[in-house]
Amino acid sequence: MIRAFSGELFKTVRRPAVWVCIVVLLAVAVTVGYAIPWLIYSYPPSGSSQGLPPGTTLADFKVTLYPPNFVRQTLQQWSVLGGVFALILGVLLQGSEYGWATIKTLYTQRSGRLEMLVGKVAALEVVVLVLVLALFTVDAAASTGIALIDGQSLSYPDSTVTAKAIAAMYLIFGFWSLFGLVLATLFRQSAMAIGLGLAYALVIEALIFGLTASLVPNVVNPIRQWFPLTNATWLANSFGQARIRGLQTATPAPYADATHAVLVLCVYLVAFAVITAWLLRRRDVTS
Amino acid sequence: MGGVTAQSVAERVPTDEASADSIVKTHGLTKHYGAIVAVDSLNLTVRRGEIYGFLGPNGAGKTTTLRMLLGLIRPTAGTSVVAGAAPGSPASLARIGAIVETPAFYPYMSGYDNLRLLALYCGVPVKRIGAALDQVELTPRARHKFSTYSMGMKQRLGIAAALIKEPELLILDEPTNGLDPQGMADVRNLIIELGKGDRTVLVSSHLLGEVEQMCTRIGVIQKGKFVAEGTIDELRGAATLTVRAEPAETVTRVLTGEVGAGNVRVLDDGSFSVKVDLKRSAELNRKLVHAGADVTELRASERSLEEVFIELTGTEGGL
Repeated sequence: MIRAFSGELFKTVRRPAVWVCIVVLLAVAVTVGYAIPWLIYSYPPSGSSQGLPPGTTLADFKVTLYPPNFVRQTLQQWSVLGGVFALILGVLLQGSEYGWATIKTLYTQRSGRLEMLVGKVAALEVVVLVLVLALFTVDAAASTGIALIDGQSLSYPDSTVTAKAIAAMYLIFGFWSLFGLVLATLFRQSAMAIGLGLAYALVIEALIFGLTASLVPNVVNPIRQWFPLTNATWLANSFGQARIRGLQTATPAPYADATHAVLVLCVYLVAFAVITAWLLRRRDVTS
Repeated sequence: MGGVTAQSVAERVPTDEASADSIVKTHGLTKHYGAIVAVDSLNLTVRRGEIYGFLGPNGAGKTTTLRMLLGLIRPTAGTSVVAGAAPGSPASLARIGAIVETPAFYPYMSGYDNLRLLALYCGVPVKRIGAALDQVELTPRARHKFSTYSMGMKQRLGIAAALIKEPELLILDEPTNGLDPQGMADVRNLIIELGKGDRTVLVSSHLLGEVEQMCTRIGVIQKGKFVAEGTIDELRGAATLTVRAEPAETVTRVLTGEVGAGNVRVLDDGSFSVKVDLKRSAELNRKLVHAGADVTELRASERSLEEVFIELTGTEGGL
């Protein structure tokens, strides 16, 4: 097991695509999550207050960029969009083995297929952990920088809350990464896996439930509570939302609580691992 | 044909002695892809220490067989023991080095790092990498990315990768594919070197000439079935002596009297083809002359392996 993990980690950390994926997410998190909103809130275009409640301006939204809110911001902004990067990592690590035909090299070494899979999943989750920690770190740094520029106090969320948020994001990204892994195994390639994964993340679940929930909520909501994106969103929202002066920002009560969301996501993680193992064990390697 | 026929191969019953001496042994190994039979009841025995050539035209089932021996493909039927264990089991893989079709490595890593990776997977000391690279003469390019390698370098890295486990059994699937003539010669010589000593090499090829140069024993596969197995001499069969002499009645009487009627055949041009130990050529000549025959030609004829291969497989592909 250790041999398989060491090997997988060895090749993963040497792969430029993995670091490109991480760096792009971090760059997007800083620019889209902090730099651009701060510019818009600081220098609002004329007429930008239209549609806002009376007495509220865009500048009021800057509070969301300050350190007390960085944990919530990170979770709510990146649980899905950032998850896509974790999905890509999962696809890359498995799909390329088929693309380069290295799967036959892997399986003619010393370890069995399940052992190799455990090694790969462990290496993947190490990279995902790095991604999550880096994401929280750059968001914390960005919020600190903005607070310093705006002369705001540097007060951060409680360390327990931060640790829980990191664990929640790790679970969400873990789901995404294993989703990528199982898709790449299923299709034995990267392109199809990334395409379908992105379609699911950005369109399928949101679109289906978005349209049908308004028509027949009593039917759709009990079904929806077992779907992954819904639960990832609920888990992210369970950390609350930023309070913005002049706005009533009461968070809509989630259909189910965070414990439910954690359990559902864990079931998906286990299911993806079992399906991947089953596929790898029973399939011939013909590439 | 004097070699072992398809029928006799199929009927051969494994003996305990043969099992003890063999490093690869399959019994009725079969693989179906739907209605297509890729490998059909293959009984293959590779003995320890030999360089075994697995010969057959493209699409004959060589790669499918080798993949089954490595556990990459699950057989539809049949059993096999490879390096003392079930194919694909850790115990078996630990003793095998293999290249299946084109060597596959990670393009973003150097040749050296690819070997380091395999050393990690196999739990072998990193110091073996240098020796393996030296053996295939790839040390000067070892730190370059695999994606920049020529086909020949990729093949050599594949062989180096197969060697770092210091395996008892090397399984090489078409190791000279895609190489230029010099590269092919280099790889052939390397395989001959690797096969010296106790190591066993099982090498597949559709190129008759290279198998003839490298291998001590050959198995010929056609449409998934074994059609012949034996040493090159066995496959070629006994040499024949062509005799041109007159009068025919005298020649026939002398030859049938010496080697038996079953070993004498009259050819279309009136000459005689005689199955006989070539050491007896001078003796037969003396007896023909003594009997009053005028001998105008006495020539040893040996079938080429190419002729045997064409006869067995009905193809000239790859020859």
